[in-house]
Amino acid sequence: MYYFFCGLEEKRLADAILHQTMELVKNEDGRTEKFPVGMRVLAVDDNPTCLRKLEELLLRCKYHVTKTMESSKALEMLREKSNMFDLVISDVEMPDTDGFKLLEIGLEMDLPVIMLSAHSDHDSVMKGIIHGACDYLVKPVGLKELQNIWHHVVKKNIKSYAKNIGPSRQLLPSSESNLGPSGSKKRKEKVSDSGDEDDSDREDEDGDGNEQDGEESSARKKPRVVWSQELHQKFVNAVQQLGLDKAVPKKILDLMNIENLTRENVASHLQKYRLFLKKIDEGQQQNMNPDAFGSRDSSYFQMAQLDGLRDYTDTRQLPSSLLTRSHLTKLHPSMYSSINLHGINTSSFIQQNSSNSANPFGTYHSTTLSPRVQNMNLFQRTSSPLEPLQFPRSNGSAYMGDFKSIGDRPIGGSFLDSCISFGSSSNSLPSASSNTLLLQPNYTQPLHRASDGNQLCIEGTSSISASPNIGVQGLSRFPSHSWQGNLNNTTRFPSNSLPLNHTFLPDQVTCGGNNNLGDCSSLVSGDNSGGEMQCEPQLLGDFMQNMSSLDGQKWEEQNSNMLIPFGNVEYPLQGDDMVFRDNNATGSKGLEESLTSPIDATSATFNSQEYVGKSTMLDDPEMKPGRPENALVDNQHDVFDDIMNEMMKQDENNGMVSVGVATRFGFDSFPPP
Amino acid sequence: MEKRQFRDYTISLYHQGFLDDQFTELKKLQDECSPDFVAEVVSLFFEDCEKLISNMARALDQTGNVDYKLVGSSVHQLKGSSSSVGAKRVKGLCVTLKECCDSQNYEGCVRCLQQVDIEYKSLKGKLQDLFNLEQQIVQAGGRIPQVDI
Repeated sequence: MYYFFCGLEEKRLADAILHQTMELVKNEDGRTEKFPVGMRVLAVDDNPTCLRKLEELLLRCKYHVTKTMESSKALEMLREKSNMFDLVISDVEMPDTDGFKLLEIGLEMDLPVIMLSAHSDHDSVMKGIIHGACDYLVKPVGLKELQNIWHHVVKKNIKSYAKNIGPSRQLLPSSESNLGPSGSKKRKEKVSDSGDEDDSDREDEDGDGNEQDGEESSARKKPRVVWSQELHQKFVNAVQQLGLDKAVPKKILDLMNIENLTRENVASHLQKYRLFLKKIDEGQQQNMNPDAFGSRDSSYFQMAQLDGLRDYTDTRQLPSSLLTRSHLTKLHPSMYSSINLHGINTSSFIQQNSSNSANPFGTYHSTTLSPRVQNMNLFQRTSSPLEPLQFPRSNGSAYMGDFKSIGDRPIGGSFLDSCISFGSSSNSLPSASSNTLLLQPNYTQPLHRASDGNQLCIEGTSSISASPNIGVQGLSRFPSHSWQGNLNNTTRFPSNSLPLNHTFLPDQVTCGGNNNLGDCSSLVSGDNSGGEMQCEPQLLGDFMQNMSSLDGQKWEEQNSNMLIPFGNVEYPLQGDDMVFRDNNATGSKGLEESLTSPIDATSATFNSQEYVGKSTMLDDPEMKPGRPENALVDNQHDVFDDIMNEMMKQDENNGMVSVGVATRFGFDSFPPP
Repeated sequence: MEKRQFRDYTISLYHQGFLDDQFTELKKLQDECSPDFVAEVVSLFFEDCEKLISNMARALDQTGNVDYKLVGSSVHQLKGSSSSVGAKRVKGLCVTLKECCDSQNYEGCVRCLQQVDIEYKSLKGKLQDLFNLEQQIVQAGGRIPQVDI
């Protein structure tokens, strides 16, 4: 996590946080002293001699010391009251206990952990640092070394504070003020040394509150729990059993009964889950327009939520809209449109779609859409960071077209997958349960299908999976642009593979013109004429910034990882109206087959069955327009020809203009219909 | 007189390699707030010695089935303790013992362990003498001299 204080405001904020850190503590004589006096240290060592000496050394530094010889006890103390300590110092070579475990927990709770060891060899030290220790001291430890350990506490506080600076700036570090969203309060408490007034606050907090600190700023790499489908399922079951309101990490943990799962793991997962659900709810409310137009997003959300969260529907209190599948059915044609981004008024979609039941997606109708399409900042704001579209895999039925089948597939995976540590293998994604429909870069087969007369909707962006809100939270772990890379099956997305060219032609439907794609143009290298799509670095940076604001550093790290495979292609192109829909079952089958190829964690495979184009990039502020299709375009030109032809036929039927689509694909060779 | 003795004795312990600078550090940590700190820590150390040595002896007794892992972890612990209190000779022997253990040199382990045993007991005696001297000084109303090594 990089942070920098620039400008007067930031400077003031920085001062504020430091001020808090330097909270005054009353010493025994009643005089007040400044931090690091009174810094609360938890010392762990199974050697009584060493422990006693360490204690004395720490006391000599005027820290407040709690010591224990058992790491299990230490863990207990950490878990019970996460804000009891400012720093943990622990031997790592304790035969009966695992110093690294303690390290992990400390990190989860965003506590600086210092390792003590008798070994000074390079490998041991390396191991410690890699595990996330903020310092590594070789025994026997001297007073001088311990006198400086308070630096780590300050550093951490600055980091977390800085992280919170983005989302909400607060200048006054009162004890009650938030430094930033959510975890700020906790952080404040953590920062303050032995502020008695905060004790009650600390005690009141539990569950997520405590965990926010732990999960917010972890700049370091640390082993994460991989929330596999099964694990998540257990989690969900536990939450349902407890009732969402009553679900606290400890109880969830107990119910789940998983070895090696910590309360902190559960708590952070729970927090994400709650945010995820909240986003869905918001999405629901936001998009609950009764009219056809209005059904745009809601249907998707509903669908996604219903499908994905089937598990949850049973016990969880979902908005009634979610629970009415019939509602979905009715709206289902608009589901696709729901994936449309905000900027796009998908009403036309819906209209079109409804007129063509066989082609639920309907293609997109440039003429109808263009007037509505105002703001092509599709990918920017609303949705969460680009994420791979995670759709339930349909059994060969169009994704959108057959939401029944979709409905059979919990999208829960989308949330889950997004929570899966980025480093986790992609195994958890596509091949896994049919829960997740992944964006598949391989467009070959769908394209072939297109000749069946169905429109293949390829939503390059993770639009599909991401009801914007879902995407925001649930999928936020996935790079928004990940799907782009996916265009090439599992290969890295060659930067050349996305000819921007006609992406933003004025006559393009959704964009309503290149001009509308203000963002797009910024995303693409200025020369759109066939140049490769490159996301400008600053966008990446923005993306990263935004990501971090979403969910702290973790995301950022994740995303930075995710960026790597995509080479130069950072963001999905503005898939404004690149919508391929393949409602044909067979088509989707083919696509699905292609989807089953292994996908690396960063890629999103999509069942191109039904994606609504760009609009999927709905509420994703981070989502930059992307055009996965372009990659295909390059490689599958011929296939596209077929599709285009087919689509044009369809368009004629539907009265839609497909030229935009064609051009959007970068085929300027297509004759206008 | 006792002060002189105390000083000389202390110096000799250092010179003979019984104690090193870590012991000096220990002494520095002793003050009005923790007046018996050194005695406390040193006692803990000797208790450690007793426990760990006995563990190791037991392990080595299982001839043919020696749990070298146990011996290794015990000697590691002992090494840590001795180094933190400044018991230089004991620590040195622990290093040797560890090597024997790593190479599963049974004879070496046994011999080494015996030496460790002798050494810690010897140190214990000497430190006891030193504390006695200290006590005498204090009881006589004097202050314990600061000995710079």
